[in-house]
This record gives sequence, structure tokens and C-alpha cells, in this order.
Amino acid sequence: MYKLLFQQFLRTRACQLGLTLVLILGGISIIIGKQFLTDQGRLADQATQMQQEHIERNVKLHGDDLSLLLYYLKFALLNETDPLAGLSVGQSDLNPGVQRIRILALEGQKYDSDLVNPTKLLYGNLDLSFVIVYVFPLLVIAFMYNLFSEERESGTWQMVNVMARSKSKFLLGKLLVRFLLLAGVMLFLIGVGAVVLGVAADTAFLLFTLTALFYLIFWFALCFWVVCLRQNSNVNALVLLTIWLALVVLLPAFVNNYITNNYPLPEALSTMIKQRDGYHVKWDTSKKETMEKFYEEYPQFANYGFPSEKGYSPTWYYAMQHMGDVESREDSRAMQLKIRSREASSRMWAQVIPSMQAQLVFNEVAGTGLDDYMDFLQYMNEFHENLRLYFYPMIFSNSEVASVDWGQFTPEVFTNSNKSINWTKKLGSLVITILLFSVLSIFSVRKLI
Amino acid sequence: MLEAVNLSKKYGQKDAVVDLNLKVEKGEVFCLLGQNGAGKTTTINLFLGLLDPTSGKALVGGLDVVENKVSTNQILAYIPEVVQLYGNLSGLENLEFFSKLAGQKIASDELSKLLLEAGLQEEHHKSKLSSYSKGMRQKVGIAIALSKQAQVIFMDEPTSGLDPKATDEFTNICKSLAKNGKSIFMATHDIFNAVNVGDRVGIMNEGRLIYSSHTENIDASEMQELYLKTI
Repeated sequence: MYKLLFQQFLRTRACQLGLTLVLILGGISIIIGKQFLTDQGRLADQATQMQQEHIERNVKLHGDDLSLLLYYLKFALLNETDPLAGLSVGQSDLNPGVQRIRILALEGQKYDSDLVNPTKLLYGNLDLSFVIVYVFPLLVIAFMYNLFSEERESGTWQMVNVMARSKSKFLLGKLLVRFLLLAGVMLFLIGVGAVVLGVAADTAFLLFTLTALFYLIFWFALCFWVVCLRQNSNVNALVLLTIWLALVVLLPAFVNNYITNNYPLPEALSTMIKQRDGYHVKWDTSKKETMEKFYEEYPQFANYGFPSEKGYSPTWYYAMQHMGDVESREDSRAMQLKIRSREASSRMWAQVIPSMQAQLVFNEVAGTGLDDYMDFLQYMNEFHENLRLYFYPMIFSNSEVASVDWGQFTPEVFTNSNKSINWTKKLGSLVITILLFSVLSIFSVRKLI
Repeated sequence: MLEAVNLSKKYGQKDAVVDLNLKVEKGEVFCLLGQNGAGKTTTINLFLGLLDPTSGKALVGGLDVVENKVSTNQILAYIPEVVQLYGNLSGLENLEFFSKLAGQKIASDELSKLLLEAGLQEEHHKSKLSSYSKGMRQKVGIAIALSKQAQVIFMDEPTSGLDPKATDEFTNICKSLAKNGKSIFMATHDIFNAVNVGDRVGIMNEGRLIYSSHTENIDASEMQELYLKTI
């Protein structure tokens, strides 16, 4: 019977069109993902080459003054891109993957990036995760909205009613055929994507695949419940499309709005102002006062003493720069905490909005979520601090430029390898919603037959 | 094989079937005549278990349909006025599908034989059902009933819209089915066909069976006269 149910469904135009559409979109999304990874790889390669050329050029220009040279020198920090990012680009195309840092005040440098189209924040990229979160549910609706009603409307239900030993088995058979087809296409696309993008078959990939599968099952369970409520095909289609609009577009946008308003970020501006003031005001402050504050932070450098109040001193200049970061530190921390709180709040809401949950899990396993970027920024602090601690003694002791082995400064790569997977948190809410709609469907089917 | 005992059905305050008492024996063809809305289709639906009676009983094979829906369903089949099947499957595939749905495992060549038995020529077996005429669809419907090994076949206006040749073919098939022991309950407007194919005919009006007779006791013109008088 299943073979004939497959044949019967495969011969329908809706099925042929739907599968063709999703295969084309899936193919395009994989190509886009590949393009993204290629771009990231090219940027990383260019960063290595550019850093070498940049250092050589500046050493030639300012080879007689280390403090001046370090004013210009930038050191690249790369945010390593996981191949899974090709399946779920997330925000990684909005946030810079390569950050070139000077040892001056850091805060202002953190957010030096190109302007991006803000609407991309809402709609995202046409990557495979977009196809899974947005397009697959539409296809589930197109395949399911008339699962039962078409039998009644075309008159075949009479024959089924009299002939079938079990009508629920017949309906479940139809459901299973549609699910197997779409799940097969989805797994095929994920598999092709994994091969093309070079994704490793690890637990992150398994979680990505399971999330996609459970998300698909959720939509099937929801649609099955709705179509068993005995409405006609038009009503079913309307109801299901409304639910799609609410779950996939409106609710996530509402939550985004709510979180943005609930966690305002005045610190974004105050951090910048405090960092700039912290530095600029020091031009009009006595050098001694600035240096005292600096030595409080770094007592190990106290033996370099206090420069003359008259004229320029590189020790004092870098201490001034440093004070900008010190004086904006609290605001910066508060801002980081609030951004993390926004993300935590999103995750909480996502527990009851499956589309958000799926998207957040995809981004998380691909390392393209907001938390991942915050981890990168956190690491940037350490990277910057290490550079300072390495160069400060050389600047303060007026070392020769030639005394530094510049060849050692290849771009540093940040890899977020400390992530553990909490399967219950990632998949629990999806499983619960699936169970909920499955139970509701059982009651509806009983009434139906 | 088939019995209605004081069978009644109301839709709200409206009587659809009132105190119906009738019996159809094994191998017998019973034709029920009546105007639109007389209660013929409701009677069939009560026997099929698609509706529950307001009072009385519908018995199939001696079993109350309401209490034994699964058991009675296994021995009956239904051919509606227009046999609606899956247009994108062939006649043979539709037959295979519905026989499997009924829990029957029948080899492909046996299914072809059933279609031939129902009068569908072999050249049409693998054509898509969407290209079939009404008569051809009904033949597939009969083959489906045969595949289920149904003992009782209900037919609702089966000859409506059929051309004279197709009607004649259909009549012969019904007679052949009855000869093989199948009981047939047919609701129809077609008085001449009812007298021709039926062993017994009944006339229903406003939910009541107002006349019932063996066809050997009455010819078609007498039946038509009686029908016009009683409705």
C-alpha cells in the first residue's frame, strides 16, 4: 500500500513542483554557503600575507622608533570559521571574521567593521538553515493541508471509508509518505552540503541534523492536528499559513523587538565616550597622575619611573591610551553582560517558538551565533593584552626595532573549542511540542474516524 | 444477509428513514426506487455504518452494524453513483491499492482477472483512471468490491448517466454477481433497470417503504405506473 501511496503522491503536481523548488533552493543555499566559506578562507589567507607585508613596510618606514612603529602596526586576529557555518551563516557575515588590532586603546577598535544592511539581521541569508527554517514548513503545509479534506472533497473518502480496515492507518500512511519524502530531501541536502563544505561527521553535525529533523517532525505534527479538525482545504491552508507567518516571521520579530526594548544598551555609547574621554582628557592631565594610575594597573612596570611633565614621552602616550580602556572597563563589561542577557532571553523565548529554537541551535553548532561572537570579542581582550604586555617593556626601555623578531607575528586564530552540547536544552522543547501536537492529533483522528 | 428492523433515522426534526423493515437474502438483488430525498442513500449509509440510526437496527450478516462496525465492514462493499478513485493511478493500481487497504493480498495477475470479470478490457487496465468513462470507473468499483470478497454490495444510482450499452453490461455483471452468491442492494431512479436486474423492488417515499414486490409479479410498465401513483 505504501508503494502505491508514494506513487499516487509523487504523481501530483504539488509534490513535483514542491520538491523541485526545495531542491533548487537547497542547491543554491549550499552554493551560497560554499561561497561564504571560500570568502572566509580567502580573507584568512590574505590576512596572513597582508600582515607580513604590512609589518615589513612599516618597519622600513619607522625602523628607528619602536613606539612610533607600534602606533601604526596592526596585528590580525582571525575568528576561525567552522565548515558548518556554510550551512548556517548566522551573523558571521555581519561580524568581522578578521580583526586587525593595534596596541592602542582597544574598545574603539572592537567594532571597526564594514556597514551592513540591517534588514539582513531579521531575514538572514539564503543558507541551508534558512531553507530548513522558512521553506520546509511551507512545503509541509503544501503537502499536508488537504491530507484528509482532499479525500472528502474528491469523493474518494467514501470508498476509503468502506474499504479500509483501519482508516487511521490509511491517514498515517499518507502522512508517513509525505514525511519520508521531505525528510529524505532534507537529509539529502544536508548530506550534499556536508560533503561540498567539508563538514566533519561529529556531534555538532549530528545535532544540526537532528534539530532539522525534529523541526520537520514538529511541523508535520502541527499540520496533522490541524487537518484532522475536519475543516475544508481552503480553511486548512489559511490556518496553516497564518500559523507559519506567526511562528516563523511575526513572533521572532516580536521577540527581537521586546528584547531590544527590554535590554537597552546605553553602554554602547557610554563605553565609547568614556574610552575617548579617558584618553583625550589625559592630554591635559599631569603625566605623573596618569602614570600613577597606570602603575596601579601594572606595578611590574613601575621601575620605568615618571616622564618629565614637559614634552612627549612614549611611555606616557601608551599609558594614556591604556587609561581609555581602564576608564571604560565597567561600561564595557556591563554592555557585554547585557548582550549576553539578550541572547539568554532569546534562548528562553525560543523554547516556545520552534523556528527560533531551530535557528539558534543551527547558529550555535555552526559557531555563528551572538554568543560565539561575544566569545571572540572576549578573546580579543586577551590577545590585545598579551600584545601590550609583550611590547610595553620594549617601548618603555626604548628598544631597537631590529631587536624584535617580527617574523613571529603571524595572524592568531581564535577557535571556540570549549563548547559542550546539552542535548536536553537543544532538543527538549522541540520534542515536547512534537509530543503535544501528536497527542492532540490522536484525539482529533479518533473524532474524525 | 441484510436486514432492517424498525430502522429509523432523523436529521433534527426531519424524518429521513421511518420504521424500515426489509430483508435481502444471499444471492438476491434488491432495488430500492424513490425520488431524490426519499431516504435511499440514508438507508445505504445506515447499513454501511456511516450513520448511526435514531432507533431500530441495521443488520449485516446477522450482526448489528452499530455494535460490529469492523466485522460488518469486512463483508460489505459500496459502489457510489460516481466511483471516485485516484485519477493519477491506473485502474489496476487503484484496484491494488483498495484491495490492500481492505487487507487483501492479491497477486497482480489475479487483480487483472478481477478487472476482466468486472468487464474492464485489458487494454485499459494500465491507463490512468482520469481517462476513464463513468462506466469504466464503475467496473473498477465492482472489481474493488470483488477483491474484498464482499458478501453484500451496496450501489447508489449505479446506472445514472450510463449509456444503454454500458447499462446493459452493468445489468449483466450484477446478475452474474448475484448468481455467485453476492447480495446486492441498489438504490436507483431507473425503474426499467430495477425490474430487469432486481429479484425484488421496493418504493420509498418520505423515508417509508411503501411498496415491495418480487419482480416476477410485475413488469416495468406496471411498475412505472405504480411508482408514479405512489410518489
